[in-house]
Amino acid sequence: MDEPLIHTTKGNLHVSSLNYETTWEFEESYVKFIETYTLNGEVVRQSVHVLSMQGVFAEATAQSLN
Amino acid sequence: MCSSFKSQLMLGQHALGDGTGVPARTISTPDVVKAALYFASATFNASTTAYSATGEVGNSGTYAAGGSTITMATPPSTDGTAGIFTPSASIVHTSFTAASFDCVLFYNSSQSNKAISVHTFGTTSIVAGTFTLTMPAHAAATALIAIT
Repeated sequence: MDEPLIHTTKGNLHVSSLNYETTWEFEESYVKFIETYTLNGEVVRQSVHVLSMQGVFAEATAQSLN
Repeated sequence: MCSSFKSQLMLGQHALGDGTGVPARTISTPDVVKAALYFASATFNASTTAYSATGEVGNSGTYAAGGSTITMATPPSTDGTAGIFTPSASIVHTSFTAASFDCVLFYNSSQSNKAISVHTFGTTSIVAGTFTLTMPAHAAATALIAIT
């Protein structure tokens, strides 16, 4: 089976020729997963996947009639 | 406030004014809502009233000016005492390159691009890659938009 290629800023390269790193960011409102491919230290492909944990709120308050 | 009213607002079931300035619409057809991405240097917040191309990320890969149309298979509903709305699919852009963006604006492109909500997710950069924004759970405590 041929070695898979991956699209980068340098064209389609063999995955094995690249360094692959992942990082995570955890915040109250989101979790972020970052995939980075580098070639000789240069970032040639980076993808980011954000999971929103919480949206925005509008509060409807109850008040008495004055 | 009556809980049912909160979701009915988002469904367009109440018109508490005479509608002056409100464009005509087909009530049985949902409006088209889009999601646009903005650089961290742009200023978008609760004061934002409409979509603007200023500060928006450039055309790249599957991202085009104005952003993408969101999927709304699940209509606004009530969960407990909250009226809630959440897009039913993730926002995905592939073969995408953009540096230092941190914000998505949801806006109603059927109604003069009026702003709906702004959400930030930390400064993000993509290089010839994929950006995925997965929606939160459609529940009172987490929905993308909740009137509590």
